[in-house]
Amino acid sequence: MEATREIYWNIGHGTVLSMYLLAAAAIVLLARGIWMRVAHWRQGKPLNRFDRYPERTRRMIAEVLGQKKVARVRAGGVFHALFFWSFLILFAGTLLVMLQADFMTPVLQINLLQGHFYRGFSLVLDVAGAGAILMLAGLAVRRFLLKPVGLETVNDDYRIHALLFAILITGFLVEGARMAATELEQNPELALFSPVGLGVAKLMAGASLEKLSLLHRTFWWLHFALVLGFISILSRTKLKHIFFTSANAFFAPLEPKGALATINLEDETIEQFGAATVADLSWKDIFDADACTSCKRCQDRCPAHVTAKPLSPMKLIQQIGEAAESGSNTGLIETIGAEAIWSCTTCRACEDICPANNEHVNKVIELRRNLTLMEGTFPGDEVRTAATNLEVNGNPFGMAFAARGDWAEGLEVVRVGEGEPADILYFAGCYASFDKRNREVARNFVKICNAAGVKVGILGKDEKCCGEPARKLGNEYLYQMLAQEDIETIKATGIRKIVTTCPHCFNTLSRDYQDLGLAIETEHYSTWINQLLEDGRLKLKQGELQDCTYHDSCYLGRYKDILSEPRALLNAAGWQIKEMDQSGYASFCCGAGGGRILAEENLGSRINVARIEQAAATGAGILVSNCPFCLTMFEDGIKTSDCEETLKVRDLTEIIIERIGG
Amino acid sequence: MKALLVCEYREGKLLDTSYELIALADKLGVDKAAVLIGSEEAVPKMDGTVYLADAAVCGEYNPAAHKAVILAAVAKENPDYLIFCHSSYGWDLAPRVAAALKAGQITEVVGIVDGGFEVGCCNAKMRRVVKPTSAKVVLTIQAGAFAAAPAQGAPRIEPIEVTVDGQGLTFTGYEPAEAKTIDLTRAEVIVSAGRGVGKKDNIPLIAALAKALGGELGASRPVVDAGWVEHSLQVGTTGQTVAPKLYVACGISGAIQHLAGMKKSDFVVAINKDKDAPIGEVADVLVVADVVQFAPILTAALQK
Amino acid sequence: MKILVCIKQVPDMESRFKPAADGLWFNEADLAWRINEYDEYAVEQAVKLKEQLGNEPEITVLSIGPDRVVEVLKKALAMGADRAVHVQDSAPQQKGPWQIASIIANYARDKGFDLILTGMQSQDRGSAQVGVLVAEFLGFACATTLVGFSYVDGVIHAKRELEGGLKGLVDLRLPALVTCQLGLNIPRYPTLPNIMRAKKKEIETLSVTSLLTEEPLAITTQFYAPARKEGGLVLEGDLNEMAQQLVDILQEKTSVVR
Repeated sequence: MEATREIYWNIGHGTVLSMYLLAAAAIVLLARGIWMRVAHWRQGKPLNRFDRYPERTRRMIAEVLGQKKVARVRAGGVFHALFFWSFLILFAGTLLVMLQADFMTPVLQINLLQGHFYRGFSLVLDVAGAGAILMLAGLAVRRFLLKPVGLETVNDDYRIHALLFAILITGFLVEGARMAATELEQNPELALFSPVGLGVAKLMAGASLEKLSLLHRTFWWLHFALVLGFISILSRTKLKHIFFTSANAFFAPLEPKGALATINLEDETIEQFGAATVADLSWKDIFDADACTSCKRCQDRCPAHVTAKPLSPMKLIQQIGEAAESGSNTGLIETIGAEAIWSCTTCRACEDICPANNEHVNKVIELRRNLTLMEGTFPGDEVRTAATNLEVNGNPFGMAFAARGDWAEGLEVVRVGEGEPADILYFAGCYASFDKRNREVARNFVKICNAAGVKVGILGKDEKCCGEPARKLGNEYLYQMLAQEDIETIKATGIRKIVTTCPHCFNTLSRDYQDLGLAIETEHYSTWINQLLEDGRLKLKQGELQDCTYHDSCYLGRYKDILSEPRALLNAAGWQIKEMDQSGYASFCCGAGGGRILAEENLGSRINVARIEQAAATGAGILVSNCPFCLTMFEDGIKTSDCEETLKVRDLTEIIIERIGG
Repeated sequence: MKALLVCEYREGKLLDTSYELIALADKLGVDKAAVLIGSEEAVPKMDGTVYLADAAVCGEYNPAAHKAVILAAVAKENPDYLIFCHSSYGWDLAPRVAAALKAGQITEVVGIVDGGFEVGCCNAKMRRVVKPTSAKVVLTIQAGAFAAAPAQGAPRIEPIEVTVDGQGLTFTGYEPAEAKTIDLTRAEVIVSAGRGVGKKDNIPLIAALAKALGGELGASRPVVDAGWVEHSLQVGTTGQTVAPKLYVACGISGAIQHLAGMKKSDFVVAINKDKDAPIGEVADVLVVADVVQFAPILTAALQK
Repeated sequence: MKILVCIKQVPDMESRFKPAADGLWFNEADLAWRINEYDEYAVEQAVKLKEQLGNEPEITVLSIGPDRVVEVLKKALAMGADRAVHVQDSAPQQKGPWQIASIIANYARDKGFDLILTGMQSQDRGSAQVGVLVAEFLGFACATTLVGFSYVDGVIHAKRELEGGLKGLVDLRLPALVTCQLGLNIPRYPTLPNIMRAKKKEIETLSVTSLLTEEPLAITTQFYAPARKEGGLVLEGDLNEMAQQLVDILQEKTSVVR
């Protein structure tokens, strides 16, 4: 027998018109629902996320179809990916059937749905349908039975699961009834290509043709009604994520990770700095709430949340959406809470894992800008003191600026301020300049460079804080003041390459300073030294093989994707890395980012201690880091935890310096 | 040459610092007379004239009236020096007298050098020598800088009466200090925490050291102001002035107000990251170390 | 109401001080400058009072010195002062407190100020005279070392910090001058809109010679770093060794450790 079927069998072509009209009505409802959200989003300020649209479109298609971000977290993620593809196949299949019946057959007189193609088509759809039901069941078990901590389940979730199950099951019921009536006996070989349908058909085998026709028509209209219902409520339930989350893959920023808006302080018309109300945010900030699917992956990875601070990145996104429901003048600070706002370390674990491409961090910075620039408040008096110290002496410690270059005493460096040439400018940063422990890192770096025949220049007392902690705490004015001075000083040296030992300085000089006029190539020492090694200018001897564990600092790993070079250096120096569970992009913050290195941690438990315990759990006695903040936090953490005897922390430069030669 | 010593009277008593004024006058080798707005019972024991005005009439704090009394005494004695203690009474009153006499004032004297007067500056980090160019000179001296002269002698008391309106200022009373739960003035050993301790969480390290030495915990003003310890632990001019057998200053730079409160200690140990911290001037031993790291090690060494 | 706040720019006290070439004051090279801490309390109190009185009062802030003092005037303007007066003087450190006070009094005399606030002393020279002298020259009621300030119906209720935690309560009638002490208030951190508004506020420049009428009544003859305590010992190096050394010294020199 022919491998095909009569489309609209038992339904009749007469219903086609009403079918399309009803479908159109549902789609209009859907479109209207989406359209009404536009006014809601427009309460925020304009922002151009439509530029370079070919690139954006490609990215969106790849992410939505590939489901790579979703599947990154196995639990639930793989299920969703499979469910999505199955549903997509079913949707495409249904569209193809409609296209065939109402266009290709009458107009083009071509029948695709026959022969081998139809056999393949049937099989694929059946498998997809079964797969969808299976995956949906898995998701339902996870949500309703296993109940992962922090996963909020609302009434909507029950309704959506029920609806989706119903659509899928009625689909098979329709197929089964049709097959029972037209294929089971008449075309058994074809029936094998719809295995699930075949199974359902066998259950209905005994019924009379009349009964089967009634069943089929009933299920068909039921299925249709459910689907229409599904379409029309899409924009008003969590299902809206089909559109909005996908769209967020289009709207995601194209700027380098961590880029912040640089306020034009010359603009005298600006009355509001930072965000105090909904209207101060951009439309994208409000849109993010609609794109959020409450998957809580950001919350699960947030170092502040995990250590019982009042911050939840997910709640932050949603509270903004809720505030926008109440109007553009709705205040944000009281709803979200100043303590939550100050708790963020800007580690970007939230943004890194978010499958919806939400931007959590910059919202925090905007809220902080309001708190600092408009209200003059700080997370604590110690931060205000640090800010004053930055203004007076260019470092947060309040140490006399004239002593900033003292760490280099006895070392072979060039004071570039005096016009002498050097191969690189080493921007030491505040901690390497003044903190006893971190001065070792600075000294090691110079010695390593000298061993490779590199002439290192420093600014000494002319160097000021790069301004990053101030900027991340919202003090854009103080940041720009410091930055302008540093940029002027650096430009005057004529140097063409900057290397830093601090990932925060690295990010700031290589990215943020570009907005203020600095365009000099800047590297972090890990890639720089790795390059020296690869070029043969530096030689390391392996020596005795040692065990260590390695901490990917947030500002090197997640922000700048520098994960392999430090590891290459460690291996070249003869060290074996016992990786922590949370390493690479999943690395757990030391707690000092977001300007919090300047603040006291008074809420919840200690973030640095949590990380120390993770490091100690690897059994490697040495923890290696690449950032002065991490080094400081880990030294403190070791002292205040039980790991004092079992764990030591070293900076990568301290490892390398011991292995120079060979 | 002659000095007029302005003695201080509070809550019905003569303040002991008055004997330090006598000591300075003796050091200068000048004749002395004194003036006191107080009561007859409170007149200082010294040889010489004491001009006495009644505090019950003038008030314990009434700058205009006190100034008038002092000027009346000046008219009688024609002193070359007017010596005040650098206290909340003295620094408030001395410039007023100096203005009236067009006399140069030298503030918070700690010593006599080359015919001039040595004072501290730049937060006690530096010193300078100041010489007057006016005929009369007003001096305020640092409490404790000059060891008090013995209270001996029988003064000749001359009463002074003035009628002066407050000139816009009325003293309405005292507000007592918060009840002191700890009296550091009686402690034999005090271990004080300064800003170098870093944060409130580190205070227990210092308290542990104090305990290991069998002493009391004290603190410098910034530590009290930051709320790391209660006010009654403050050592310094606005806290308590102490003179224990052993004083250990932990992470205290040695701002002058603090030094003034503990200089009279028998033996002073300072623990500070900064080798040049002013506390070094009064320290018998200066340990150059981060107090947060050193204190626990010292505590352990003491407990052995 | 017209309020005057007198502020001084001083070096940051963390700086290393070295005598200048003339040996009479510190060398200004490599110094970071800031507003005198005590004067900051004065500015804050003035702004608080202005806010309390519905922004009616006008606050003038004054400083004496070279061009660099404009920075502290701007800070005060950003905190809320209305206008600034810069008394241009290339060498203010050569003038004694008597002269500084007379410069200020000569400026303020005919301006009709109701209230003058200043810090109780400067962090660098610390002579604690200028405030009181200005009050005497102008005939203002004056109280020093304020840690409490409230203004009700034309009367200032002030709290003076005395020794041992005791406070003296004083009422002052206008016109008055008060000097401010640590603990009076917490100076506000200027908001950015205020910093930007400050850029437009008037800074009047006057030459010091137009206001200087007095000679110094006392002069500095030497400026130096103090000698360490005689016999004072400095321990450096390994923490454990130093701890043992110290315990030994305490056993030997005091009766505290057995």
